[in-house]
Amino acid sequence: MPATAPQSDLATAGRYVMSIDVGGTFTDFVLFDTASGEVVGFHKLLTDPQQPARPVITGWRDLLTRAEASVPRTVYDAVHSTTLITNAIVERRGAKTVLLTTGGFRDVLEIGTEQMYDIFDLFAPYPPPLIPRSLRWEVNERVTRDGVVLEELDEHEVRALLPHMAAEGVESVAVSLLHAYRNPDHEHEVEEIIASAFPGMAVSLSSRAAPLVGEYERTSTVAADAYVKPLVRRYVSSLVEELRDLGFDRPLSMVLSSGGITTAQAAMEYPIRLLESGPAAGAFAAGFYGRLTGHDDVLSLDMGGTTAKACLVEGGTPAVTHMLEVDRVHRFKPGSGLPIMVPTIDLIEIGAGGGSIAHINPLGLVNVGPQSAGADPGPACYARGGEQPTVTDANLLLGYLDPAYFLGGRMSLDPELAERAIKERIARPLGISATEAAWGIYAIVNENMAQAARTHIIERNRDPRDLVLVAFGGAGPAHALPVAQILGISTVVVPLGAGVASATGALTAPISLPFARSYMTLLDGCDWSAVDRLFEEMGREALAALHGSDDSPSDVQFRKAVDLRFAGQYHELRIDISPDIRAASAAGQIESDFRERYAEVYGRVPSGLRVEALNWHLVAELPRRTLTLLSRSVQSVDHRTALKGKREVYFAEPEPGRRPGTLRVSVYDRYRLQPGMAFDGPCIVEEREATVVVPPGSRVSIDEYCNVVLEVGN
Amino acid sequence: MRVQDEFSLIDIEIMWSRMISIADEMWSTLFKTAVSTVIGAAQDFGCEILDTSGGSLAHSNRSMPVFNVVMPTVVRAVLNRFPVADMQPGDVYVTNDPWLCAGHLDDIAIVTPVFYRGSIVAFTMSVAHASSIGGSLTSRTVRDIYEEGLRIPLVKLYDAGELNETAFAFIGENVRTPDMVLTDVEAQLTANGVGARRIEAFLEEYRLSNLDTLAETVQRRSEGAMRRAIETVPDGVYRHEVWADGIDDPVRLRCRVTVDGDHINVDYSGSDPQQIRGGINCTMTYTRGHTVYPLKCLLSPTIPANEGTYRPITAHAPKGTVLNCVPPASVGSRTHIGWHVHELLFGALEPVLPRRVQAGNGFLHYVYVYGEQEDKTFYNSHFFVAGGRGAGKGRDGIGRNGFPSSARNVPVEVFELRTPVLVRRRALQPNSGGAGRWRGACGQLLEFGVLPGYPRPVSLYFDPDRLRTPAPGFAGGEDGLLFQIAIDGRVLSFEEIASGQFTLSSPADLIQVQVPGGGGYGPKEQRDPELIAEDERWVAPPPNER
Repeated sequence: MPATAPQSDLATAGRYVMSIDVGGTFTDFVLFDTASGEVVGFHKLLTDPQQPARPVITGWRDLLTRAEASVPRTVYDAVHSTTLITNAIVERRGAKTVLLTTGGFRDVLEIGTEQMYDIFDLFAPYPPPLIPRSLRWEVNERVTRDGVVLEELDEHEVRALLPHMAAEGVESVAVSLLHAYRNPDHEHEVEEIIASAFPGMAVSLSSRAAPLVGEYERTSTVAADAYVKPLVRRYVSSLVEELRDLGFDRPLSMVLSSGGITTAQAAMEYPIRLLESGPAAGAFAAGFYGRLTGHDDVLSLDMGGTTAKACLVEGGTPAVTHMLEVDRVHRFKPGSGLPIMVPTIDLIEIGAGGGSIAHINPLGLVNVGPQSAGADPGPACYARGGEQPTVTDANLLLGYLDPAYFLGGRMSLDPELAERAIKERIARPLGISATEAAWGIYAIVNENMAQAARTHIIERNRDPRDLVLVAFGGAGPAHALPVAQILGISTVVVPLGAGVASATGALTAPISLPFARSYMTLLDGCDWSAVDRLFEEMGREALAALHGSDDSPSDVQFRKAVDLRFAGQYHELRIDISPDIRAASAAGQIESDFRERYAEVYGRVPSGLRVEALNWHLVAELPRRTLTLLSRSVQSVDHRTALKGKREVYFAEPEPGRRPGTLRVSVYDRYRLQPGMAFDGPCIVEEREATVVVPPGSRVSIDEYCNVVLEVGN
Repeated sequence: MRVQDEFSLIDIEIMWSRMISIADEMWSTLFKTAVSTVIGAAQDFGCEILDTSGGSLAHSNRSMPVFNVVMPTVVRAVLNRFPVADMQPGDVYVTNDPWLCAGHLDDIAIVTPVFYRGSIVAFTMSVAHASSIGGSLTSRTVRDIYEEGLRIPLVKLYDAGELNETAFAFIGENVRTPDMVLTDVEAQLTANGVGARRIEAFLEEYRLSNLDTLAETVQRRSEGAMRRAIETVPDGVYRHEVWADGIDDPVRLRCRVTVDGDHINVDYSGSDPQQIRGGINCTMTYTRGHTVYPLKCLLSPTIPANEGTYRPITAHAPKGTVLNCVPPASVGSRTHIGWHVHELLFGALEPVLPRRVQAGNGFLHYVYVYGEQEDKTFYNSHFFVAGGRGAGKGRDGIGRNGFPSSARNVPVEVFELRTPVLVRRRALQPNSGGAGRWRGACGQLLEFGVLPGYPRPVSLYFDPDRLRTPAPGFAGGEDGLLFQIAIDGRVLSFEEIASGQFTLSSPADLIQVQVPGGGGYGPKEQRDPELIAEDERWVAPPPNER
């Protein structure tokens, strides 16, 4: 796709691309003008958890009006990312779902791996399964390890369950039968029986959602897929319909957890692949702004209303992993969540957002999050009935937020409600002042984010001190500096439009559809014509799925890969295969590439072992849209022209050696800051969707793209 | 340039985390390159970085807890036997001596000295459970260690990079699955190598010449945290006694825990003498592991562990007792005593730490399936399955884990891929956890037989615990359900299980195993009615079975 559509196409194809990111608390918008190559508008509205499509429509209209692009057809493409799916799982707001398993295995979902994830915590908890035991039912059938049917599916038994589904009001069914990754026939039969009785019922099969060996992980994935499918279907189809009413009749694109983009239609088939859609878009944003400011290796910190996401982005592109955990219930520890086997941007999520609730734990210590007040009722200061003190309430009390300029003044915050919540729930029980309590909340949430980010970085063999922090999300810029200080990071970049940066990131994500097939074989006994057939089959599916998008299939690029291991091992390395040559002729190359990669990863290669292939992968890609931002010349301009006022703001060390307290500091209008301006903290920089808090000792400069670049003081 | 003996707090945190993450990377390397079920699927192994004096510096978060504690003993033995001055790059040491290492022959220890600019700066080490170590297939009947398999004395496996063919040949000829065992040893070497390379890169990056100051710093911090935690426990002498199944007669374990300021001493005097049969004896190294590990859980669960953590704790057991056995005692199934030390110590400290201790656990159990295929090759697989955990004051027992082992279970699909077995049921068993105000977690039911159509008999070996001593309830809570094996519906007696050995010859044979539940806490009459209602909903059968 060209960065700039040819002029002649504009009349028919339109010139704008809309990006929408629906988070747990806010719905963000970015409108990109392909003619000028410029972002022409940002917008932010509260998410409506009950009807998430509603603010999308309102915001879409607002933004087009503001951009004076009211002719609806001028938007020719729309990209959508979201955290609705994660939130539905964490808050257990999914559909009433039945799990059907092979007889004798209904508890697989609850038994899990039986592994201690914290060897020193005697009571480390596990998340409750998404599907309770009363809705986990069994059907008699059995397939062996070779895919041979030992016992036919008892169809009568499946049919006998149908009235119970109706009676229970079941909306979705997950099917996970033993060895279905090898032979999915029985799962297909179950699907047909259910579909013929209940055409509207959502059905998810383990052999499609995660065709991998290992019944727990496969079942966990398909259970989650089924659990969110009705919700995603309802939301996406109503959104598509309402957008059509607005005059947008082009296919809606969605960002996958892997960072690729697919059609809304394809996304609804496997909604679990959208799990980390929003955070993936955010990671792309960090990579984009990192490259823009000359930094290839950055730490992305995306702090929204519900959670914060940290992601190490190396070489401008976030890494992809093949498994993630959702709903980590124990301090976000690995192993304390539900495993989901889908390709995902490798990031870490922390229960730390503007809406995170502060409370006093049984030991008398203040804890912040991971529970969140979300958008409804939201923080106490939203005056929507929330009584729990949140991070946003603390920020308001500390002077970091202007009660009259939240979302650019479209929403006002009530400092008295914030103070009351903090006083009653935290300050009074601890015998401290409300300001001290607010400071504690702020410091603790920063420490939580820094710790989680540090672990994420160190596990990937990097030193945080070598990275630049790119901070965004509605709350990110207010917390970025202390987090950078804890991590020893010396430079922070806060992009223009930081509050909606994830939506910008989605504009830079490639169109990319991953496909996989299982074919387990020793490499030296492989039937290569079967492999060729698998790739052809996946290729056809890919073209069909991409057909909906406007781009001509001739642009499609295929990447092929295979998971290989030494026979007997339980883990594989993914090895790329040349897409141009047919697999049979590549056999020798594949094996030597595997050995080379093995030596690189592990240092030594065992001798005398045969190589085994498992899963064959095809990724269909269309080139990334080139997003350019206008750069402006750097001039020496007096920064005081951007001054919009002064206010009292609380800092840990207002002056060197001084105890915590308030200072009266300058507040700058982000939109009046010009490239080349530079000034020292303490100060506040406000834009509509986010506020940058700059403590004493740090220095602000504005680069040619109007990004705020901060030098972190000690 | 960072000055070596003046690390800032940020330096310490980052470098400490980095050491742990190197150990974690060793762990995942071993996990990913191993080929046996017991390592590659069930994760019965551990990885650690040790300082130049053999003190533990950092272990993987996912290591088998007791392996972490015993590894320093092995490195100190290496240092005694092989003077540092004579060590060369490319040296690697091996042993499976139960008195030095993890308490039975199955666990093979591999030690690699790490050189940086010509000097030894650390040791990387892994201990992993071999899929076979030879010896008797029925460890419950053995009478001494010579029946238990190959004993590998502490020797060099590599000498300055030169492979010790004799050692490899000895191992290969004495185990049932030589390819599997030697490939897993290769995986251990690979893991140690990854650790060594990462340590070299770390020193390069931080411009350090060695790890001594870092080791001393983190060990001091962990030790301080443990001492402060011990100080919060009232001084006193706390006694307790528990019984374990034993092979012939039940075995009595006794402890006397003395808390004195910032130090704890555990004395096991009064425990029964070492047992002749069945390999249930613990070496002192192993006993010490199961002494300090549960105390760390109670007292300092959140501080990363290393040598310093365990300095404030001493353990004593008279020689010749079941907790400090002497050669040639059999030791293969030492968990049958060692794991009971947890309920012994928790019971002793319950009066002073009621909110931290945990009632008895159902433990991790396994079935070992093996046999010869038609082409005469030997197949085998361990199938791990966990019992319920004990309740605590204010908390129901956590289901779903095999404490005090950090192994994970083996997926049914993987087990079936590795053996000609068909699993018919793997389900949680309602009401198998001890009742109480807070109830023990439930155990499981497992049913399996030979894969229909498989032409040859299949051998099974069980080595169950809690056949007659259930997971004890605490403070008036009830005990968990016992372990049981039934064949075709008939429950076997203790005597019938004595050998642990079974052969399935007909596809019609069905083995049913009841894996024990955990103990309850507090009288069941005091259970919250809402929780009772929840328990009842959980127990209800699905609609097609009503």
